[in-house]
Amino acid sequence: MAQAEDPKEYYKHLSLFWTDLLYLMSNKPQAISSTGPLRTMTANAKKVSSELIEMNEKMMDFGRYLTEYYQQLGETWTEAQKKVDLKAPDLPQDPEHLEAYKRIWIDIFDNDFTELFDSKKFGKNYGELVSRELDLARHWNNITDVVLKSANLPNRQEMDEVYRELHLLRRRVAKLEAASRRKARDGQKGSGA
Amino acid sequence: MGKRVVAPDTKIVEELVRLGSNMARAPNLVKAPDELNLEITPHRTAYQIDKVRLLHYAGSGDIRHRTPIVIAYALINRYHILDIHPAKSWVRNLLDQGYDVYMVDWGTPTNMDRYLNFDDYVNTYLDSCIEHVCDASSTEAVTLQGYCTGGTIATVYAALHPERVRNFVATAPVVDGWRDTTVISNLSKHVEVDKLVETVGNMPPEFMYYCFSVLKPFEQGIEKYINFFRNIDNERFVDNFLRVEKWLSDTPPIPGELFREWIKNIYQENLLVQNRMRVGDDPVDLRAIRMPVFTQVAVGDHLVSPECSMPLHYAVSSTEKLLRLYPTGHVGMIASGLSQKMVLPELGSWLSKKSD
Repeated sequence: MAQAEDPKEYYKHLSLFWTDLLYLMSNKPQAISSTGPLRTMTANAKKVSSELIEMNEKMMDFGRYLTEYYQQLGETWTEAQKKVDLKAPDLPQDPEHLEAYKRIWIDIFDNDFTELFDSKKFGKNYGELVSRELDLARHWNNITDVVLKSANLPNRQEMDEVYRELHLLRRRVAKLEAASRRKARDGQKGSGA
Repeated sequence: MGKRVVAPDTKIVEELVRLGSNMARAPNLVKAPDELNLEITPHRTAYQIDKVRLLHYAGSGDIRHRTPIVIAYALINRYHILDIHPAKSWVRNLLDQGYDVYMVDWGTPTNMDRYLNFDDYVNTYLDSCIEHVCDASSTEAVTLQGYCTGGTIATVYAALHPERVRNFVATAPVVDGWRDTTVISNLSKHVEVDKLVETVGNMPPEFMYYCFSVLKPFEQGIEKYINFFRNIDNERFVDNFLRVEKWLSDTPPIPGELFREWIKNIYQENLLVQNRMRVGDDPVDLRAIRMPVFTQVAVGDHLVSPECSMPLHYAVSSTEKLLRLYPTGHVGMIASGLSQKMVLPELGSWLSKKSD
């Protein structure tokens, strides 16, 4: 395969090539130990390394949105400070002026930052930032799943299935209890008790 | 040529020194928030289902009104704010006015509760609590009060189970997400809530704290702490400050499914106020609310804007309804001198003719 133009893609390919090849080369001897963690070690290593590679890509995206986030905060700070300087050009020299200056500063900063947080630009970037953070969390979850599986422990998906089952059971019990209480109450009313 | 140096006023220096000294003395003067007990009015757990508790408060006097009040507290922070201080307690005030008061404490959801949704909160938890109160007080219906997000749950309950609600009091309810002018509304519209819930499950408190931190960040993040240290010798101020701070910093996670429905149905698609929301198998129609409704709104509310709460007043079919706007904020409406002097007496008087 020709070297990809994007070095990131090239190294991704290189890493996957060698982990795949090593997996194929070492698969049969490992089949002997069919119960321990060694059985799936190379497959797991491949999964972990692909997750790490993808995580690295997402990390770059995350960094981009994080930079934008702080840039927006920084720009708003600068603009707000300019407004404060215009409204109160002299530094306060006594407690009364200090109090007035503080009030102006807080009002202008609160207004400008609230305007920023309320803007579509901020909301969109914030949404993307959270989304990228969730991507990272998902990759981390996937890596943890590999480790948990290799140790024969339930992973996140399996635990979620248990929680869902428990939730449905609790709901059924609650509804049965409520129906039984209603029946008992209707019975009492019917018997004139 | 030397640079001209302007010496600061000595009073400013004194002020800064005093502030520094107050900060140094603070640990010896005030309790740590952890040492404060936020349980003011005696109560017992009258009923419990899963992690949800129904608290029944013990009044000092006689119960003069037959219809009990059930308060559905919000999903954010805990119920203590309604009983935060003897002089500012919402609960104690109602007890003193002769009402029988119950409070729903939603508890602390864990991972096991991530699939709890509106249906569970409305049709199982709140319904069971109200059923218990009706049985215990031999009444057919209660006065239901919902605060903040608890106001939304109570609204849905009143629409789905109107026969159980004799009077409905909505205190700063989250009803019309599109009209909400707070920053929370803007952030909610841009969050990929499905991905969020599927990845993290329950909504962690830290996520809530972030949302609160962007509301009046400088006044809430800087000025109030400066005021705290300035007033460190004022016992009443400090006690009140620490109680509210402790309450603010204690919020349980929100069950993932409930959070998903909340963001989608209220903030992103705004289904509740359009009578298009479904809870369980049932459509929620606010026009089914025909009992007397009292909507309490705070003009300076920066958590739930008045525009978000007021549409409830116009959406219900009740012939007897009252909308009141108070010159205070979200917390001030329920835990302040103003709430004791104005909000609660008005509520008590409005309820008194409808609670026998």
